[in-house]
Amino acid sequence: MTDAPTIVASTRWQTIRRETGRALGAALIALAVTCIIVFFTSKAPLEALTTLATAPASRIRTIGLWIDDAAKLTITGLAFSLVFHARQFSMGVQGQVYIGALAATYVVLSPLGVTWAAIPLGMLAAMLAGGLWGFLPGYAKARLGANEIVSSLMLNYIAIELCNFLVRVSLPKPLVGVLTTNDFPDTAVYPALVANTRIDLGLIWALVAVLIVWFALYRTSWGLKLRLVGHNARFAEYSGIRPTTIMVSAMTVSGMLGGLLGSMFVQGQTYGKLTVLFEGNLAFEGILVAIVARARPLAVPFVALAYAYLRQGAQLMNIRTDVPAEVIGIVTALIILLVSSTYSLPGRKVLARLFRREPKPATASATGEV
Amino acid sequence: MMELFWTIFSAAFVVTVIRTTTPLLLATLGGLIADLSGALNVALEGQMLIGCLTAVIVSVYMPWYVAVLAGVLVGGLLGLLMAFFALRMKADIILVGFAINILAAGGTVFALALATGGDKGTSINLVSKAIPGVDLSFLGGIPGIGPVLVSFLSGHSVLSWIAAFLVFAIWYFLYRTPWGLWLRGVGEYPAAPEAAGIPLDKVRTWSLIVSGALAGMGGAQLAMFNYVGFTRDMTAGRGFIALGAVLLGARHPIGALLAALLFGAFEALAVVMPGLFAWVPAELIRMIPFVVTILALVLFSIRAQRALALRGAR
Repeated sequence: MTDAPTIVASTRWQTIRRETGRALGAALIALAVTCIIVFFTSKAPLEALTTLATAPASRIRTIGLWIDDAAKLTITGLAFSLVFHARQFSMGVQGQVYIGALAATYVVLSPLGVTWAAIPLGMLAAMLAGGLWGFLPGYAKARLGANEIVSSLMLNYIAIELCNFLVRVSLPKPLVGVLTTNDFPDTAVYPALVANTRIDLGLIWALVAVLIVWFALYRTSWGLKLRLVGHNARFAEYSGIRPTTIMVSAMTVSGMLGGLLGSMFVQGQTYGKLTVLFEGNLAFEGILVAIVARARPLAVPFVALAYAYLRQGAQLMNIRTDVPAEVIGIVTALIILLVSSTYSLPGRKVLARLFRREPKPATASATGEV
Repeated sequence: MMELFWTIFSAAFVVTVIRTTTPLLLATLGGLIADLSGALNVALEGQMLIGCLTAVIVSVYMPWYVAVLAGVLVGGLLGLLMAFFALRMKADIILVGFAINILAAGGTVFALALATGGDKGTSINLVSKAIPGVDLSFLGGIPGIGPVLVSFLSGHSVLSWIAAFLVFAIWYFLYRTPWGLWLRGVGEYPAAPEAAGIPLDKVRTWSLIVSGALAGMGGAQLAMFNYVGFTRDMTAGRGFIALGAVLLGARHPIGALLAALLFGAFEALAVVMPGLFAWVPAELIRMIPFVVTILALVLFSIRAQRALALRGAR
């Protein structure tokens, strides 16, 4: 995942500029494709595109939605960045979110929920549960060689069904038949940082998590070992590092981040209670965030901010016009394909070739070749 | 408990197992081809899902076999897309696979909304066709075992028979033809076939195309026989279970058949259980295939690890 030779060859700023250019180039191509699709399918394409481009920043409430989404995308982006650094394709963040949310809910709806300890203990329980959910596929991989992609995906489905089951059967709820729990007590809900928006304590946790993950990856021996294992597991083993331990720990820490995200969902201003299927496929978007950010923790929040804007724009476009929000899935897939395809090669050449092959978005090449 | 016992050993249950196994088996065979050529095809799920929707939409306007072919074709095209980005553009194949899954999850809902005029959940207001069952009731004329044969063999989807045939065909292709040898060589030890002048990327591209096409066919079976019509996220992890089945089946066509049958049997159990045990929560029943996949994966990966150690790789 790390491209060490490029870093050596160029200065930090050049790298940042090149990477940003690449990401923007990919985003422009993807958006161009979206524009074409919208023009062909919508009755009022201009209105739809204007909504997509401007709506999230239009009002204080929508800005709140945007920032809240960005904070959550940051956490899932960090979780994926960690496992990508270890070159493990653990796809379990979604399951960790549900398990973490369940753990937080059990703490919050216990007598502890009405005390000051509700927020820290809820978060802690969520992180422990998420960590366990991340540890399981890691351990199965390290010990038994069980493919971590398959096992983590299966755990996602199990966690979702478990959450559905417990919400329906076991957890206290306001009415029989609703699929949400009681509202959490006020002491257990993250206080809003900006009144009447969804910007809450979760934003602080996201920023703190960025710093902690950056520090752990680039300023501790664990991080060095982790990156070494990801870069060349055999070399790491020869130099006395136990790759399996590092892999499992990376997947566990990533799981803790996933669990934290679960707590941010249910204890945040957005919900303040547990409901079924609350996460709305946000967790998997971390793949895009991590790939575009090249698994660099410090770049993750910026990518998350940009991508959250797009997501919220699509949601608002869905509400106000006739274009379904799911069109954004096409953008996401294209960006992943384009950005990841320049991953292991001298990017400029590939991008230049790419642009030459596709004459349509030729304008974007200017950005791509900064 | 006795009811469960009798249900499992009834002909109706066997028929259900064959129905639930067919899409899984087709996807597993697709995963097997890709895996043997050296690429884990994590996009099976997305390819199946897009195959489902394509088959349903095409079947509204065309005969059923054209719809199945369309599903196969679209799966193959997605395989080609994967090959282009993974081999030509040197992207990581797993990331490419997940990009396709994301494309499928969002893109099918988008396309469904366009096709139905705004319905994002199901294709219920589209009149889509089903794959006909193969009627073998003439076997009833055989004295003695005739009626039993009919109850077990008659009424399966055409694709079930095709899938069963494909197990044999793929085995023959892999182990009895030179191209099968190429494909396995490319996955096993690329340097050797490269030295022998075999075009690596061409072999890999074709195997990804075939892999996607098989997943697309599985999707067609799912949306035109198991269920008639498209529902959002209707594959529900079957592509990922198929991925587990490939590993579980020891990367062999017969193993793939057995693994797919195992998962198919548990899925069938999940189909019949609500009728038998109303007190078992539906959520826990729906969990069964995933729990079984994990357990099977863990149990069998010990064996796979041993095989790997024997080969001396890694």
